[in-house]
Amino acid sequence: MSFQEKNFTASLSTFTLILGYYLIRLFQLIQGGNFNSTSVVRLWGFVIGFAIIGTILVTIFTHILSAITQVIKTGDEDPKIEDTQDERDQIIDLRGNKVTYTVSSIGVFLSMLTFAFGQPPLVMFSLLIFFGVFAQIVGDISRLILYRRGF
Amino acid sequence: MGKSRISNNIRQLRFFHDEMTQQELAEKAGVTRQTIIAMEQEKYSPSLELAFRIALVFGVPLEEVFSFEPDDDPR
Repeated sequence: MSFQEKNFTASLSTFTLILGYYLIRLFQLIQGGNFNSTSVVRLWGFVIGFAIIGTILVTIFTHILSAITQVIKTGDEDPKIEDTQDERDQIIDLRGNKVTYTVSSIGVFLSMLTFAFGQPPLVMFSLLIFFGVFAQIVGDISRLILYRRGF
Repeated sequence: MGKSRISNNIRQLRFFHDEMTQQELAEKAGVTRQTIIAMEQEKYSPSLELAFRIALVFGVPLEEVFSFEPDDDPR
């Protein structure tokens, strides 16, 4: 597994955990009758905060883990990690971004559609957050598939 | 997705060039080892520039490294 693949796998795991936490908290809020703007905005803040911090920590952790793995494999005290993107990595990243933007756009459309069905803005807001994180997950999955199966 | 229609002899050429490793070829061509692996498995078709760089590493014409298999279905 290349460094980039490890990075995307770690990112996928992080965002899956974030999405799981978001959905569980959302259902708890709905069931507890606390589905109001204050609670949802606070939850949104947690999700965005975890996403940013999680992404940074995952990148650092992946670098450290790759360096340790490389030292163990080669015995070289100054390991060279291939963390630069070559043309194949760039193409896969661009295709992954395309998938992310497509899912995100569909998510925005579906979120706006809730207005047509008379739902309050909180529902739209909650769906927007869900599709934002879900789009990132789908994008990472598509990148991993492209790395494995080729194109 | 899947196998590309561009096939190559990179693995054989590496063998006949002092058993060059994938890592050595990757460094000379300016890409990662995973890209070389993907090309040898025909899971990735390189850009024109990369194809020329690889041919230059082996000191052979482009056609001796890469070949193209056209579709059977004519449009």
